[in-house]
Amino acid sequence: MQTQELVTLVPWTFIIQILNLFIQVYLIKKFLFKPINEILEKRKNLADKEIREAREAKDAADSLKVQYEDSLTNAHAEAAQIVSDAQKEAQSKADTLVHEAEAEAQSIKARAAADIEQEKKKAINEAKDEIGSLAMEIAGKVVEKEISESDHKKLIEDFISKVGA
Amino acid sequence: MSQSFEVDYAKIYCSIKTGIPILGDLKITETLIVSWIVMIIITGLCIFLTRNLKVENISKRQAFAEMLVETGNNFVRNNTGGTKFDKLIPFVSALFATSVVSNLISLVGLRSPTADLSTEAAWAVVVFTMITATKIKTNGFGGYLKGFTTPIAVMTPFNILSELATPVSMACRHFGNILSGVVIDGLIYWALGLASAALFGLIPGAVGQFLSKIPILGIGLPAVTGVYFDWFSGCMQAFIFCMLTVMYIANAAEE
Repeated sequence: MQTQELVTLVPWTFIIQILNLFIQVYLIKKFLFKPINEILEKRKNLADKEIREAREAKDAADSLKVQYEDSLTNAHAEAAQIVSDAQKEAQSKADTLVHEAEAEAQSIKARAAADIEQEKKKAINEAKDEIGSLAMEIAGKVVEKEISESDHKKLIEDFISKVGA
Repeated sequence: MSQSFEVDYAKIYCSIKTGIPILGDLKITETLIVSWIVMIIITGLCIFLTRNLKVENISKRQAFAEMLVETGNNFVRNNTGGTKFDKLIPFVSALFATSVVSNLISLVGLRSPTADLSTEAAWAVVVFTMITATKIKTNGFGGYLKGFTTPIAVMTPFNILSELATPVSMACRHFGNILSGVVIDGLIYWALGLASAALFGLIPGAVGQFLSKIPILGIGLPAVTGVYFDWFSGCMQAFIFCMLTVMYIANAAEE
């Protein structure tokens, strides 16, 4: 079989080897670099996405936290407001009740005093009448003397006025 | 066993008459055939490595493929200092893979395509074209020509020489190393064959005659020397060739 020189430049081999090199570049690009770089890119995107999502979730959690803290503070304030309102209302109600009770007591007292006064007057009047008739009877019996009706009357009234004074 | 030493020449399997002057006949040589085998091996390996790619929970095979790609990326990016030359990555990787597989294919008994100067010359010319193109792109055509007259106009012939020396030295360095490996391997086998013929020829009678025809001593020692001449030299030259390619192109891009 024919052989070529040990150190020689064969033009066709030279040209074909250049073509071979470029074909190899294309093949290695297509079959190794393209798929692997795609996968690496995908993985990178995935990692980036996860990091981004985690960051977003953290931001959301942070804003929620702030919101909750705000609403908690508001709730505290509101509760305090409600309590103080209730206290005030209770106070005012209690005050009203006390006032009403006092007024009622006053009126009851006043009525009782009026009643007592009336009773007293009534009793005094009755006593006056009783005493009048008693005095007349006693006088009639003790004196046993004929006195005109008008004299009687005058005497009685004198007596009563002396008693009433 | 022959008494005289013969180097392993590249065989010409067939010769196609083209009738084109200068180029001559298209000869399908061992170099070309083995080159195509190398290409098939590399491409097959690429396809095998990139099967069933997954984003998560990757197989060892995919991890290896990713490692190869990352190594290629890092090699070019570290030596050019940036991602400006990312387009070079597949080229450099293909060059390296072809070179390494071509160099190491001699281990299975095929003749390395890189033991043919035409192969390295082809690669070196491609690289030289890229270097020149990068220089022209960076400095403009005028700037490129002006570059030859630095530092003084008298230096022009030397600058042209040194410019041309780049591809020649790249090609010859790689070729020389691989060819020397081929020659030394051949020499070692030849010498060991002679030695075993001489040794077993001492045995008298038919047994000695039979054994002396088999190069028994050829088992073992070539494997040891092959570590340097085939493995180390093969990987080293591929690495150097790619390194120089990247360095020259990166330098060419500097103002």
